[in-house]
Amino acid sequence: MTSTEPTLPPHLDPRTYPRHYHDPTKNIHLTLTYNPLDANTYLSETASPAAGANVLFLGTTRDTFEGRSVSQLSYTAYPPLTMKTLTTIAETAVETHGLEGVSIAHRLGSVPIGEASIAIAVSAGHRKAAWRAGEEVLEACKEKAEIWKREEFVDGRMEWRANADRDSEGRLLGDKAV
Amino acid sequence: MSSTFTIHYFATASQYTSKNTESLPAPLKLSTLFDELETRYPGITAKVLSSCGVSLDGEYVDIEEDKELLIMAGSEVAVIPPVSSG
Repeated sequence: MTSTEPTLPPHLDPRTYPRHYHDPTKNIHLTLTYNPLDANTYLSETASPAAGANVLFLGTTRDTFEGRSVSQLSYTAYPPLTMKTLTTIAETAVETHGLEGVSIAHRLGSVPIGEASIAIAVSAGHRKAAWRAGEEVLEACKEKAEIWKREEFVDGRMEWRANADRDSEGRLLGDKAV
Repeated sequence: MSSTFTIHYFATASQYTSKNTESLPAPLKLSTLFDELETRYPGITAKVLSSCGVSLDGEYVDIEEDKELLIMAGSEVAVIPPVSSG
């Protein structure tokens, strides 16, 4: 190693992860990690004797994009902004739906096909608030969280994705829809 | 030693510049940031920057409304393309 070698900025260095944020009063847990996501961890973070409804969402990596075979996906984040954005999303959900807890975890780096890239757990007194909050938190993350997905195709090409191009059913939106 | 600020590129911005991060001369007026990048990476404004946000030391800034803002030595700027978590 020489001093002229460019150093990796901290947000791209896996050794600076996992990064956690925890707000005990609102029972908010945030995680950015290069390790596999463990669903039970996030369910136990949001578990509460006051909760009658516990919802878990796992977003897993898909092996195709528009019919083309995806060989690998990887994610990068910019925690100085990502953590702030996720905090706002979680706080809004707690206040709007009176949640007992919310946990948002995102995996970074390479994520093998079929494994979870995002996990969201919410708990509430009753199921309606939990279902709704789970969906709202996910949609807000997709829209705002400063995390980027790169798809590598079996033909060797790589493309960065933008969530704004598609709706929650995978349909193309706006001027990209023809 | 010359004065510089750090700029981070993500997704399409890092693809276009072939860099994750670099140092640029400081101070620099925020309003001239995209011109500076266009000089270094011709075509980047239309292809990438026009759909990107910009943060300065962890806060979003508006290239037009905050145009008098100076990026000082030691500051951290990030170019934020449309996001794709999940």
